[in-house]
Amino acid sequence: MNWTPAALSQDIPSGSAAPGQLGDKDIVIWRSASGRIAAWSDRCPHRGMRLSHGFVRGEFLSCIYHGWRYGDGGQCHRIPAHPELTPPEAIKVPVFAVVESGGIVWVAEKDAEPADLPMEFAGFASFRTIRTTVPASIVAAAFGCTGLELRGTLGGTDVVLLLQPLTDGCNLHVLAADGTGPDQLDRVSVAVEALRRQAESVQEFAA
Amino acid sequence: MNGGAMRDQWYPVAIAAQLPQKGRDSLLLGEPIHIATDETGGARVTDGAGRILPIISRYGHIWTSLGQPEQDLFPIPEADQPGRRLVDVGSVKVRCSPLRAVENFLDIAHFPFVHTDILGSEPHTEVERYEVEIRDDVDEVWATKVKFYQPQAAKSAQGGITTEYMYRVPSPTCSILYKTSPPRPGEWDVITLFVQPLTEETCEVWPWMALFDDDSSMTDMIHFQQMIFVQDRSILENQIPALLPLDPGKEIPTRADMTSIAYRRWLKRHGYTYGAQLVAA
Repeated sequence: MNWTPAALSQDIPSGSAAPGQLGDKDIVIWRSASGRIAAWSDRCPHRGMRLSHGFVRGEFLSCIYHGWRYGDGGQCHRIPAHPELTPPEAIKVPVFAVVESGGIVWVAEKDAEPADLPMEFAGFASFRTIRTTVPASIVAAAFGCTGLELRGTLGGTDVVLLLQPLTDGCNLHVLAADGTGPDQLDRVSVAVEALRRQAESVQEFAA
Repeated sequence: MNGGAMRDQWYPVAIAAQLPQKGRDSLLLGEPIHIATDETGGARVTDGAGRILPIISRYGHIWTSLGQPEQDLFPIPEADQPGRRLVDVGSVKVRCSPLRAVENFLDIAHFPFVHTDILGSEPHTEVERYEVEIRDDVDEVWATKVKFYQPQAAKSAQGGITTEYMYRVPSPTCSILYKTSPPRPGEWDVITLFVQPLTEETCEVWPWMALFDDDSSMTDMIHFQQMIFVQDRSILENQIPALLPLDPGKEIPTRADMTSIAYRRWLKRHGYTYGAQLVAA
């Protein structure tokens, strides 16, 4: 299995958590106060609450429901209802392998991560992610390509589009050529949204 | 026929004082029902085939059943006690299992995190040991001697107090909470959560209260309770799985969850499994 681009690094600032997906699994991607990135199952083992609704303090992610606090390796460190208790080791959130490179957060199944690091896209910088309900294959076709890693131009700028299949559509992670100015990036934005609309209309037509 | 053993229970479907003049379609245990006003101004509830269903008008609500209830609706003696104000809070539709909605109502450990600075606040997060039992004579789940520090326990509260609670589960989708009344510390305020199971993963929640509070306006008391419940909804619609797991192992409880553990055990014992997950998926 390959690394999956799950988010852009810039969209997960220190001290924040966001929902994501790896295949059909819901994950939480979060970054500690010191900047460490992590990808875990998006479910607190206590009462099933999504951890992506939780809050980050220091190097820990806490569930918003009862404040159960999790750290390195998904281990539970604190149960606020029982402040004196050392939580048993069995209370642990399943974790995923995660690597950041080129401004992208790459995720893979733990202990099944690819031997090679994720591909790097020299000369490109991560720009933005947009989500669509259309499958990756239709988005690629609308861009005149196949596959999940597309190269071409949008709004007059050279781009790389990384498509991340989701259970109900896909994410388009957009990388723009280094040195692209703000006005040009605006045109890339307009063009990628047009691409999305085009793909969505293709899907509606097919339906 | 949906609902199994839960088919013969009573469920709230409308506020008695706010009957729909033109009728209203709803669901009960996944089956269509229709709530209307009859010629005399009373409530009439029918099923999808037009059959008139039994009704009870009590505790501010119209109750009905798709089955044959063997018992009258559970008693709430405090409802008739003089000096209480009876508050029809209204309804909130929630995309969650009706059983998850009740379990959340039985939980106090979430107060500091979900109802921050109202029903709880850090660092006052500890849940002290309390008592839980299934009372066989009345066949109800009871939790007593529950204590918790609350910054603003009710609309009528002035500043933080340690509130004492008792919880009762007299039917699979209803719970009654007794809590220290801020203006009358010797008495219990009564707050209920009456849940109408629409489907296994959606419900209509009808909170109702019988409070000692001579000062707050009805609007303020309703808004306070609705605000609390909207905070709960942000949790309830984001639990995985949507169904309440009754088999041990799928979720990890602690001592603070003794009421929830007893509730799940009681549901399983009676086969009250509409909205529950039995085999760990």
